[in-house]
Amino acid sequence: MLSIKNLQARIGEKEILKGINLEIKAGEVHAIMGPNGSGKSTLASVLAGREDYEVTGGSVEFLGKDLLDLAPEERAAEGLFLAFQYPVEIPGVSTTNFMKSAVNEIRKYRGEEPLDAVQFLKMFKEKMSYVNIDQSLLSRALNEGFSGGEKKRNEIFQMAVLEPKLAILDETDSGLDIDALRIVAEGVNKLKSPDNATIVVTHYQRLLDYIVPDFVHVLYKGKIVKSGGKELALELEERGYDWIISALGE
Amino acid sequence: MLYTELTSSAQKEALERFKAKGFPTNKWEEWKYASLKSWNEKDLDWAPAPLNETSSASLQTQNGNTRFHGALPAGVEFISFDAFIAANPTIAATWEQRLPILDQNSLYDLNIALTLNTQVLWVKAGVSVDQAITHDYILSVAKASAVQSRLIVYLEPDASLTLIERAFTIAGSAEVLSNFVQEIYVSEKANLTYVKEQDLAQNTTHIDHTFITQLSNSQVDLFTFSLNAAYLRNNLHFYSDGENVVSNLNGLYVPGEDQLMDSHTVVDHRKPNSESHELYKGVLLGNATGVFNGKIFVRPDAQKTNAFQSCKNVLASTRATMNTKPQLEIWADDVKCSHGTTTGQLNQEALFYLRSRGISLANARTLLLLAFVQEVIDRVTHEETKLRLTDKIISKIQTSLAI
Ligand SMILES: Nc1ncnc2c1ncn2[C@@H]1O[C@H](COP(=O)(O)OP(=O)(O)OP(=O)(O)O)[C@@H](O)[C@H]1O
Ligand SMILES: [Mg+2]
Repeated sequence: MLSIKNLQARIGEKEILKGINLEIKAGEVHAIMGPNGSGKSTLASVLAGREDYEVTGGSVEFLGKDLLDLAPEERAAEGLFLAFQYPVEIPGVSTTNFMKSAVNEIRKYRGEEPLDAVQFLKMFKEKMSYVNIDQSLLSRALNEGFSGGEKKRNEIFQMAVLEPKLAILDETDSGLDIDALRIVAEGVNKLKSPDNATIVVTHYQRLLDYIVPDFVHVLYKGKIVKSGGKELALELEERGYDWIISALGE
Repeated sequence: MLYTELTSSAQKEALERFKAKGFPTNKWEEWKYASLKSWNEKDLDWAPAPLNETSSASLQTQNGNTRFHGALPAGVEFISFDAFIAANPTIAATWEQRLPILDQNSLYDLNIALTLNTQVLWVKAGVSVDQAITHDYILSVAKASAVQSRLIVYLEPDASLTLIERAFTIAGSAEVLSNFVQEIYVSEKANLTYVKEQDLAQNTTHIDHTFITQLSNSQVDLFTFSLNAAYLRNNLHFYSDGENVVSNLNGLYVPGEDQLMDSHTVVDHRKPNSESHELYKGVLLGNATGVFNGKIFVRPDAQKTNAFQSCKNVLASTRATMNTKPQLEIWADDVKCSHGTTTGQLNQEALFYLRSRGISLANARTLLLLAFVQEVIDRVTHEETKLRLTDKIISKIQTSLAI
């Protein structure tokens, strides 16, 4: 589904991604862990098409297409979704408001009929129940005055609405209370199917108890320095990153 | 002294003053960004004939000529200024005392000199006009022309009125400079809501002078929506001449390619305990130019004045420019005044967020721009007008961003 080869990216003069290789197949869950500043969010942003980052080398293929060639909105329409680590506040624009445009633009891209107001509302209601989110939150200006947990829940709600092929969850667990973590994770699991895949960026094993990964990768200084199964996350929880870093001879 | 100005000698004098100065050029401080110099060289028709257009509006100004069509609401009169003054000797004295700040404005002289019929929309004491009065200000000329027009709106104590003005050019008109002066008098406890929709053709230059005097316990909510014209200038003056006066000035301008929109506002607080709130927003498209010059005066007597001014602009194109100049002159010591102007681009983070959800760049920008202007539109309580303005603004922004 997703094939990243030797991906390198920088912002300004600063090299951040220094040759990432990653293969993801439909149905898989991949966890990406790694110390602060190692480039996890950068990787997520580059995949979603943020233009601040300059891709200086490598390639990314997504469902048979050259992902790096597509505009952010085309990537979304092709089935890529990013749940932001720090969702932006947008005064004057409510979730309901922009998600209606988003859904219908994506449908148009795929040659599907637009949803009318009634169909849209019905679908919205159903997806709201997935993450137990309140209508009033969706009518408010996006993220303005939202609590940390509300922002994250809203991200997963949008994911439920857009039903992506590949979802990248960037630290969706941070800022969530125990119950919210469970609800959000259940939402993610509910959306899981043999046709889609998930990348979970996290610092904590906790989330991975709910969303069980098939693979765990450690990103360090812009490279994946170790990969393993779900037990790697447990080991990291226990031992931290030092043993991996020292094994690199740094 | 308006009533004597209307005698022919006063008109002649005004014409002499205008001739001596001519149309404003950018050498004049108040016209720095907005010269009308080219009009000095044009061969103009100075009194183009009224047209035979009809619209659904009850109040219609056709090439400067204003008429009321249909039945007047109870308690409202529409009469010539001479007749109005003859019927109200006490008001005549009041008019003599009023003192607009004319900021090097030769156009006001031109208007005095060449306006043929000044009419008064007169709302009697205690009368609350429940239906909004729509005023269509229509321009259509056969050859290059200058159109003069003057309207007086007089609200007696406790009167209340909503005016919806729609200024537009008929398709196919030759180029025209429209010079529209309004003097509005809002008596004690009177209430005026006034929405101006300026949607004129690309060969139209429209200069609007609106001078509003407010007495104690009155409230005015004024909206200026500047949508289209080659050149739009709003000289909006508020003379807050009583206590507990509330003056709300709301402006929204969306100049596009080859358009210049200029708002010069004056709020003059002359008495204590009054407040003014000024909210201006601009979206500048294409190579548009915007100007905002907001003066606030707080006279020595005007203690406990609250005067707030905000002007926020988004440059939706790298070729657009905005010039802002707030000017506060405060002579009273116990006042609350604030002003702030900002000009910037759309938030890149927000744009990326929306695009990452599948919304195209053009639509994401439209969404953000609409969210930005919504604050001003939402203050309009007249539903039909609010919807019409929203539609027009969406379509203007979309068209511009699609290019
Ligand atoms: N706009 C920017 N300008 C300069 N440096 C940047 C910019 N964005 C990211 N970086 C740098 O790139 C590096 C990687 O940042 P990134 O956000 O990808 O890390 P991360 O792995 O997601 O960290 P965390 O676990 O703290 O979220 C950091 O050193 C960061 O300071
Ligand atoms: Mg991060």
